[in-house]
Amino acid sequence: MDFRFDLIVHYLPVFLRGTLFTIGVSIVSILIGSVLGLGIGFGKMAPKAIYRWPFHLYINFFRGTPLYVQILIVHFGLIPAFYGTTNVLMTSFIALSLNSAAYSAEIFRAGIQSIDPGQREAALSLGMSKWQAMRFIILPQAIKRMVPAFGNEFIVLVKDSSLLALVAAPEIMFWSNTMKGQYLRIWEPYLTAALIYFVLTYSLSKLLNYIERKV
Amino acid sequence: MGIGKKWAMSALTACFMLTMAGCGSNNDAGGNAASGESIKIATDASYAPMEYMDTDTVKGFDIDFIKAVMEEAGVKYTITNTGWDTMLTSVQQGTEYQAGVSSVSITDERKETYDYSIPYFESTNMIMVKEGSDIKSALDLKDKVVAVQGATTADTLMSDIMGVDNTNLKRFDSNAVALMELNAGGADAVVADIAIVNEYIKNNPKEKLVGILDKENFGSEYYGVLYPKGSEWKAKLDPAIKTVIENGKYAEIYKEWFGEEPDTAGLLSAE
Repeated sequence: MDFRFDLIVHYLPVFLRGTLFTIGVSIVSILIGSVLGLGIGFGKMAPKAIYRWPFHLYINFFRGTPLYVQILIVHFGLIPAFYGTTNVLMTSFIALSLNSAAYSAEIFRAGIQSIDPGQREAALSLGMSKWQAMRFIILPQAIKRMVPAFGNEFIVLVKDSSLLALVAAPEIMFWSNTMKGQYLRIWEPYLTAALIYFVLTYSLSKLLNYIERKV
Repeated sequence: MGIGKKWAMSALTACFMLTMAGCGSNNDAGGNAASGESIKIATDASYAPMEYMDTDTVKGFDIDFIKAVMEEAGVKYTITNTGWDTMLTSVQQGTEYQAGVSSVSITDERKETYDYSIPYFESTNMIMVKEGSDIKSALDLKDKVVAVQGATTADTLMSDIMGVDNTNLKRFDSNAVALMELNAGGADAVVADIAIVNEYIKNNPKEKLVGILDKENFGSEYYGVLYPKGSEWKAKLDPAIKTVIENGKYAEIYKEWFGEEPDTAGLLSAE
């Protein structure tokens, strides 16, 4: 079977634009997602069950349903309800952030709870406040343990962003589908997309290794 | 313990067999298969009324048409819903499936990769907008937001008008999602095959939609059966397709699905 590099060259400019979209959406979503996730993670560790319950529900909903369906709900339900019409950029940010927040929340919670309770007790007995114990004793140790899991989540998020092609977000898979339609060829667009994702995630994992060594 | 394991294995096997049975392989042998030849055909059954799944059976105009052709040619065949991408790759290879029938429009760019049968269906694209829209022709769509199903000729036509890299041309996975985008206000118009637009308008009178035909910018296009490059099946089946169109069988199927007479003369002179 022949492989038409000329078709890929023809589509390269739009693939590059799609790559920028993917990178942008992934970075913004992981940032919003981790901020939300931090709050949700703390919420899930609340002392009273009645406060934990909504966070518990949130995490289970977003972890337990397909992102595919979540994107459709955000695009055709949530965004039009607030904004009047659909908006693909908002869908991209919001769907991925909300999804990522659920996973990040669990990473934060697991990281914090993995620190021996003795550390906190020691800090409190030294006269630190609860907040100081969290800020200066627990979080610095917990973050070190969270970094690998968090990096993993980032890489998954980059690949998951490909599902946004469903609502015509101009990211990498969207342009692959466009190319596929013009020539009815499968391997040229899809292998190109795979290569781009691989380069993205591989550089990301190198970067994360570096950060892991630094913290 | 041993029994429990065995039981689990057979339960698992049963599960798989049930799923496999459900994936829509339709073993519809041609009536007078004298030559003993057989062909496996792939389709993407997500394009009603042309080809679609009614729970676990493939139905549609294309399916009835191919049945008539195979009966005429005396060839045994099976038609399987493989989905679009699998259909394309496997027909390009030609080892498992030797043909694809799925409302595939004939274009020059695609002919570089596949062989096509003679045209068997005439279609045109149609614009669908909400009532009261100022869009009157295809060229009015240039600076509007347009939703299409990606990888269709609607996509190709609109790419030519709006530019292939224009993000106001939203390409969706299916016409169903493109139509939802129009209703949710995210697009000014949908462009799709005339059969699909008419069917949708008919089924959703409350949405207040209108279809616009623009013969000048959206010319006729023709569907063909997809073969691998250099396939022997083209020479074998083209005469049967021609006969089915000429002898009235085609018109019969066409009327059954679309309720009107086809332009068979135009179809035969199209190539």
